[in-house]
Amino acid sequence: MNSGLNFEGPDSKLPGEETGIEIRHTICSICSPRSHCGIDAYVKDGVVIKVEGTKENPNNAGTLCSKGAASRQYIYHEDRIRTPLIRKGDKGSGQFEPISWDEALDTITTRLLKIKDETGPEGVVFYAGYSKWMRPFLKRLAHSFGSPNYCTESSVCSAAAGLAAGLNYGTMGGPETGKSKCLLVWSSNPFYSNTSAVRKLLDARERGLKIIEVGPLITPLTAHTDFHLRIRPGTSGALALGMAHVIIEEGLYDHDFVENWTLGFEEYRDYVRKYTPSITEGITGVSGDLITKAARLYATTKPAALMTGPNATVHHTNGIQNHRALTALIGLTGNFDREGGNHVVPPAYLYVPNGVTTRQGPFMQSRPWEEMPPRVGQDQYPVWCKMVSEGQAIHLPFQIRSKKPYPIRALLAFGMNYRMWPGSDFMKDSLNMLDFFVDVDLFMTDTARLADLVLPACTSFERSEIKFYTQKYVIWTRPVIPPLEESRPDTDIIFDLGTKLAPDDDLMQKGYEASVDWILEPAHLKVEALKEYPAGYRLKDVALPPYQKYEKNGFSTPSGKMEFTSGVLKEAGFDPLPKYEEPRLSPFSTPDVAKDYPLILTTGARLPMFIHSRTFRLSWTRGLRPDPMVDINPKDADDRGIKQGDSVTLSTKRGAIQVKANLTEIIAPGVVNMYHAYSEADVNLLIEPDYVDPISCYPGFKALLCEVKKTQSA
Amino acid sequence: MQIGFSFNVSRCSGCMACVVACQDENDLHGDGLNFRHVTRLEKGQFPAVSMSFLSLACQHCGDAPCMMVCPTGAIYKRDKDGIVDVHQEICVGCHSCALACPFGAPRYLENGKMSKCHFCVARVEDGREPACVRVCPTKALGFGSMDSLSRQKAEKASMFLLEPLMKVSGP
Repeated sequence: MNSGLNFEGPDSKLPGEETGIEIRHTICSICSPRSHCGIDAYVKDGVVIKVEGTKENPNNAGTLCSKGAASRQYIYHEDRIRTPLIRKGDKGSGQFEPISWDEALDTITTRLLKIKDETGPEGVVFYAGYSKWMRPFLKRLAHSFGSPNYCTESSVCSAAAGLAAGLNYGTMGGPETGKSKCLLVWSSNPFYSNTSAVRKLLDARERGLKIIEVGPLITPLTAHTDFHLRIRPGTSGALALGMAHVIIEEGLYDHDFVENWTLGFEEYRDYVRKYTPSITEGITGVSGDLITKAARLYATTKPAALMTGPNATVHHTNGIQNHRALTALIGLTGNFDREGGNHVVPPAYLYVPNGVTTRQGPFMQSRPWEEMPPRVGQDQYPVWCKMVSEGQAIHLPFQIRSKKPYPIRALLAFGMNYRMWPGSDFMKDSLNMLDFFVDVDLFMTDTARLADLVLPACTSFERSEIKFYTQKYVIWTRPVIPPLEESRPDTDIIFDLGTKLAPDDDLMQKGYEASVDWILEPAHLKVEALKEYPAGYRLKDVALPPYQKYEKNGFSTPSGKMEFTSGVLKEAGFDPLPKYEEPRLSPFSTPDVAKDYPLILTTGARLPMFIHSRTFRLSWTRGLRPDPMVDINPKDADDRGIKQGDSVTLSTKRGAIQVKANLTEIIAPGVVNMYHAYSEADVNLLIEPDYVDPISCYPGFKALLCEVKKTQSA
Repeated sequence: MQIGFSFNVSRCSGCMACVVACQDENDLHGDGLNFRHVTRLEKGQFPAVSMSFLSLACQHCGDAPCMMVCPTGAIYKRDKDGIVDVHQEICVGCHSCALACPFGAPRYLENGKMSKCHFCVARVEDGREPACVRVCPTKALGFGSMDSLSRQKAEKASMFLLEPLMKVSGP
């Protein structure tokens, strides 16, 4: 796009016959599947000239966030890959030349089948990054090919929170905010991460909803809360145990639920006894008085619901146990699977729960685990592999290097960003050790540059997909514009590869729409019928499951009860109680490191205009926050002679990056906050590749040690 | 009649969708060129801190200073709805309006001419909301005639006052 203004007059974008502008419906898929807002694309002569939210779509009701509003720059960006590309120079040189789709797909199938023949299908990893829409089809391709190694960015996203809650309850339910009287929001900032949901949250607050917020940052939510418990990063577990202490000591817990439906309460009660408000204050930095007040409010307001972020509480070296401790509060207070509490509704399709049943799970698991070799990470993270239906991608670079228990030779990746890995240079170098690396992406990214073969995918505006919403709504989208140049939908690539990589898989051979129909069969929905509703279809006769299902079915844990002491963890040799441990790097656990690196570094909190690296390259979103900036409290800045906008060096024991200083009170003294994924200032370079949680292998992105110094100009 | 924007400061989260939606509507691809601007204000010190945002564009002033100082008469105010707009073909790009405007609304295009928020006048005449109002995910931004906006505010304030009284007689 050119830089100047192409001003055709203010009346140039009204739809209608005289203007030649037509509104076509699609969805945004820049951020997470909980949002994916409905979009009205204004199309003229085959070009999108404007976007706005679809009013009929109950999820966003006509609104968008800054990312979705910038869709046009996303679709038409000059960095879009136009044709399949094959590497010409050395690995990682970024030198490519165009080849045809036939040549590209032939090359891939030949190489992967050769590896399968020589050393087995497990040597090929199939990876899905962002967005998540191609996942069901890619996992099926992997397993039908014979590889257990389907890995995704869920290895750092929300799966560990599900794992932790699963250890306690066998499953988990989201907060039923509309029916709740008290919402405990734990390290979540829906204003920036799930923008379409906040309208209802604010409406509920205006109706009198009590809100308690826990988290190290001041967020737009903070102004709407009764209490904000501003914890030191990494201490969620201790705070939860401290709240449990108050709830148990004051007899505010649900005696009936605890007696009849839980395992290990006595041991748990004995353990939390030591987390008195004053001890907990010493660990978390939250005043004992506030801890007591928040615990009382949450335990005595019925019903109360817990809203956690997808991963802020599990991006810690004690992440699983921390998240177990805080989700244990749901059962303790009798809010599990209750109306207005945390209602268990299984996901219909791609992480969205709405009462619909599909066959997504069986579709993806086209071959049972028992018939395949162990997954990446299975020997070191058995609990992960027991609870999550994929490999652990964070362990991938270690297996590429060690070749243990078997060598990984090839990687077929969709939307991969190696900067997601802690010690991202370690992952980058590991990718260069592969025999064969294929990357499918929209843009020529830093990761695509490392590939042997690059394939151009297209955006949600250029393809068809099935999308469910929690509001009992579904849409089968139609392309609003044809794919740009030679780009293609990810699913076309997957099914084309399937013809040769999975010739015995009947559904893979029948194709994409037939596969979607197969998945939707229990919901009595068909693609052909949904095409009649281009803006979406309001599902009829869909009821959410009842409350308190455990009374009939028990809990899907080893004991059949909610487990304060986890049977799965005990069997795997971990502490069965939700034990609190300090972050592996903290002023308390490593005072020697803290001498040189006295500040706590927390990374990866959301900004409103970015979702990971996805909208960095758009001038509309990048213009809202042009520089990589570290948030630092004015007091810490003053101690270091740093002023707003100064160039500073953010360093850890592992490395250093150059950023600008942003002086702000949203961060407490002693803590600094850095957004992730910048090419020019990649904070994951500062984190060791093995700085992970021992149960889930989730990286400790949210709490380590660093120093910030003013950069001396040369 | 005077049309205007309403802004509920307690609902704005500073997401800046309004800024981008306006850029998209007006094809403002230039570096940093925008008609709407969001400013963030922090007050207090840890632990007592509050954070607020303000989304600002042309206020379409009743007595618009930009119009007063415009030497060519390029800036005009519509009788029908009070929208302040600019005849670009008459604008000479002298920047007088920028000096006069207390809100920093006027922007200048590559051709030197002034441009700014025109209240999405064509959309509004077609029964649609301005792009910034439509996009706002928290409904912090609104629009309407100044009379109707005041009436809405009065009704909301009355509800707020009445609510606790109603509860006394409730079940």
